[in-house]
Amino acid sequence: MSILTIRGGRAGTHAARRRWWPGRAGHGFVAPYVVLLIAFGVVPTGYAIDFAFTDASGRFAGLSNFTAAAADFRFASAAAHVALYLLFWLVSLVVLVVGLALLLHNLAARGVGKALRFLYYLPGALAGAASVMVWLFMLDPTVSPAGFLLRALGLDTFGQVIAPGHLPFVLTAIAFWTGAGGWIVVMYGALNNISPELMEAARIDGAGPWQIARRVQIPLLRKWIVYMVILAFAVGAQLFVEPQLLSQASNGVAGRDYSLNQLSYDFAFQNNDLGTAAAVSVVLLVVTLAVAVVFVVKSGFFDAG
Amino acid sequence: MPADTRRPTARIHEGAARTPVSRPRRTTRQRMPSPVRALVLTAFLLFFAVPVLWLVLAATKTDDQLVRGNPLSFGSWSALRHNWDALTAYQSDAIFLWLRNSAVYSSLALVITLAVTIPAGYALAMTEFRGRRPLLVATLVVMLMPNATLVVPLFLEINAVHLVGSTWSVVLPYSFYPFGVYLTYIYFSTAVPKELLAAARIDGCSEFGAFRRIALPLAAPVIALVGFFSFVANWTNYFLPYVLLPESDQFPVQVGLGTLLSNVPQFNPTAGTLAVERPELALATLLAIIPVLVVFLFSQRFLVAGMLAGATKG
Amino acid sequence: MTVKVRADGARRSGKGRSRAALMALSGVLALSAVAACGGHDGGGARGGTTGAQGDFKQAPQSDGPLTIWVDATRLAAAKLYQKTHPTVKLNIVSYDGDADGSHYLQTKVSLFNRTRKGWPDVVFSTQNNETSWAVPAGFTAPLNKGLIAQSALSGWAHGAGDPCTVNGTLYCLRNDLAQTVLWYNDSLMKKWGYQVPATWEDYEALGKKVATEHPGYLVGSAGDNFTPEIYMWASKCGANQITGPKAVTVNTTSANCSRMATLLDTLVKNRTMSKSSVFSSDFDKNQAGKILMLPGPSWFGGALFEGTFKTPKGQVAVAPMPQWSGDPTPTVGNVGGGTWLLSAHSAHLKAATDFLTWVTTANDYQGQVAPGYPAYAPAAKVWLANQASSHYYANDIAAPLQAAAGQVWSGWGYGQFSQESIWAATVTPGMTGGKPIVSLLPAWQKAIVNYARSDGYQVKVGP
Repeated sequence: MSILTIRGGRAGTHAARRRWWPGRAGHGFVAPYVVLLIAFGVVPTGYAIDFAFTDASGRFAGLSNFTAAAADFRFASAAAHVALYLLFWLVSLVVLVVGLALLLHNLAARGVGKALRFLYYLPGALAGAASVMVWLFMLDPTVSPAGFLLRALGLDTFGQVIAPGHLPFVLTAIAFWTGAGGWIVVMYGALNNISPELMEAARIDGAGPWQIARRVQIPLLRKWIVYMVILAFAVGAQLFVEPQLLSQASNGVAGRDYSLNQLSYDFAFQNNDLGTAAAVSVVLLVVTLAVAVVFVVKSGFFDAG
Repeated sequence: MPADTRRPTARIHEGAARTPVSRPRRTTRQRMPSPVRALVLTAFLLFFAVPVLWLVLAATKTDDQLVRGNPLSFGSWSALRHNWDALTAYQSDAIFLWLRNSAVYSSLALVITLAVTIPAGYALAMTEFRGRRPLLVATLVVMLMPNATLVVPLFLEINAVHLVGSTWSVVLPYSFYPFGVYLTYIYFSTAVPKELLAAARIDGCSEFGAFRRIALPLAAPVIALVGFFSFVANWTNYFLPYVLLPESDQFPVQVGLGTLLSNVPQFNPTAGTLAVERPELALATLLAIIPVLVVFLFSQRFLVAGMLAGATKG
Repeated sequence: MTVKVRADGARRSGKGRSRAALMALSGVLALSAVAACGGHDGGGARGGTTGAQGDFKQAPQSDGPLTIWVDATRLAAAKLYQKTHPTVKLNIVSYDGDADGSHYLQTKVSLFNRTRKGWPDVVFSTQNNETSWAVPAGFTAPLNKGLIAQSALSGWAHGAGDPCTVNGTLYCLRNDLAQTVLWYNDSLMKKWGYQVPATWEDYEALGKKVATEHPGYLVGSAGDNFTPEIYMWASKCGANQITGPKAVTVNTTSANCSRMATLLDTLVKNRTMSKSSVFSSDFDKNQAGKILMLPGPSWFGGALFEGTFKTPKGQVAVAPMPQWSGDPTPTVGNVGGGTWLLSAHSAHLKAATDFLTWVTTANDYQGQVAPGYPAYAPAAKVWLANQASSHYYANDIAAPLQAAAGQVWSGWGYGQFSQESIWAATVTPGMTGGKPIVSLLPAWQKAIVNYARSDGYQVKVGP
């Protein structure tokens, strides 16, 4: 397992720290968390993994749950949907969130920046039922405030807007609308964390805002960006809420069985087939973990200090 | 190369720690906003805010106005009043009961989350101990596991300890907040110089003393961040209480909104005639998000307060 | 996986640590596996208990409150019962009524089956197909094997018990019917001198006439999830012939299906058949005022015309559903209608049965209060008289609704998979994109077959 990156060049301070910080203190600090982690993280996850490898009567089933999931007629298309969505979602998130955080951070008027951050965050407070209603209206050209935009794109009815080919865009827009604000706040906070002296030095060296962003700010945001990408990948791969609410808003025309996670949910709660549901989840977990490993290894994410 | 960028970080901290004040930010920043920048920021402002504005206005309309009127027009005070009356009449004040339930669950979980998460993230970032990396790995792994699958195991677990239906059946799973542990971990590992703690220990602080006197005061931004995100995550959580709570008068507001939604004829044509109208749903939604927005406004100051500014003062 | 080492000096310690981490992780997983195994012993069977039909054994009976799950609309029924039966202890819980594929009831019951406790005694569901999972899950008690007298059960409308019947045993009571009829605007029909069509051929001809004489006006809508049930079901299209508890025959390309699809295509093309759902904002805003005719279920009158569209009093009228000329017996479709289930695990069977009987038959509720057409025929009479006294409708709606109640084609079953959502996801997007429905019939069939198979059905394709 190479998630466990190797810390470089710090062996010396490391030894020194050991003397000051014997393991016991650390254990004391993490103990309550470990209890919760085992109770509500590790055990349910282990349970789910166990489900994935057993059949309905509780016997070991090898990979049969996995083959059952893969053989389902919805599996391939759901996997393709998720892959396409992930592409749109990750690109939009990384580019736009970092970009918007930088723009906000460079804003001269502090009050405006603060207000904008609040307004960008607003949709993050909406969830579930609220979003269903909002998007039902936003995407219907006859009643949407953005109706003129949709009509300009040649879309005159709700049915045309949610045509299968448009779904990756629509779902990305919904996910970005709800999720980006929180990340902008996080990135903004992290940007504030960068020493003004360093920025000033770069400015004196003749760097423009663009160069400062590229050479100073973005590299220093690395850990945050990595964290965001890992989580955004996981969240994106587990795509569920957005197609589900679109499906609810459209009375099932678009978004049903769109993603792997919806499929897993259907297996679990419609077919009462927890094994296959868990198998889909385990596949998702493995893929996300693989991606996380790559990012963690490349970035030294787990290094202390 | 990632390895190159890390060293400057360390040095920045050192430098900042030595020269506490003098920030020429104001002067250098006052430049005219370029039109492109203004345009981009405004476009996204519209993208994020217009749907919310629409929702606010929707609560002031009749169902008829919602469909036929201008999407961004104000309805009337009397319609708002009517929607309010209709909403509060729904199962006699159910909406307030739901809001109260949400407040109880989210607040209890918030307290536990902060008490558990901040020390854990701190220890993971600032100390070495046996099992540190496995702990980080396990945290990440469970965070990446799709939630829908975890609900059934959670239910069985909670049932095994006879807690199904109790307040704790949602509060305890809520309190487990690995995302917060990571936020704290990244915060401490990027923003707080270890030298500060080393100094404290030389001064004779105990382990806990160093955490309480040095780390905790510096942690205000990340406490706000974790507190805020955990509060929002718990407040908006739908699926877990939906599955774990058997009684409708135990529902938090999100599940309550789902119930309302399923009684709107346009979403569920079989609802029948005692149905909920969409403006009522909009109003219920607004009531449901107000606490989140208040918490956001309250914590925003800390969220972005300039984390390093705190560190240098210490 | 490759271990990538960034700093040479740290190689050894790094490897050691990763091994330790791996061991710790696998230890944790082993621990959780043990915990999981522990769960099996307590839980018994994993995949939901499969109670074979007919071996119903009563749970030990006891006193204590009767737990009733209802949706918001049926809350009135439970409250009324409490008021008229003050000595009965009730624990009324409102839930979403399993509306629109929420599967709330199924989810909860499968969890309760694992924990062996927690089941409600009586449940109302807005879905007709609950028995398709609830009987295999051992949740519902058989009602016609001693709990309710056969004489009482004979009061239900003909065919009303179909969705509740599995292998001849009745597992739920039908709350209301949703037989389809032809709703029309009586004022416009009279003004324009049109005859209400009795056959689909006349209906189509009238549609063509309206397209030229009064463009913009509608004779129906094909944009709903209900389209297969309103039109295809009424046309005896064999898309959903449930032949056994887990067996279905699917044939969507027969003449019965294509004759209706062709009719819809013709009318969609000349724009007298809307492509929007009657529940959409689009329809409400632009088309609701232009309805000349609208085939639809019995509840369209109150919920749609009176409630959503706010059509003025004295305009809306009801006629029998059109028939294909030459068909020997009239057939109609069905769109929904709720069911009441009695838990096989109930410890208060007597009280539960009393409540169940009252709520489905009592005039106090079904006749006077219920929003939908009661499935229990004597209550339906009272209900219809009640409707007539409101003078909302332009004609006497009793005769066509009563006739239609017994004409629901029994060849269309109630499977576990939702025909509504299959149609919505397969046919509706194609139709919206301009494809004729006739050309989508094979895709529709394929989707039904796929969904039926994934729900474990034995599927027979073709006639």
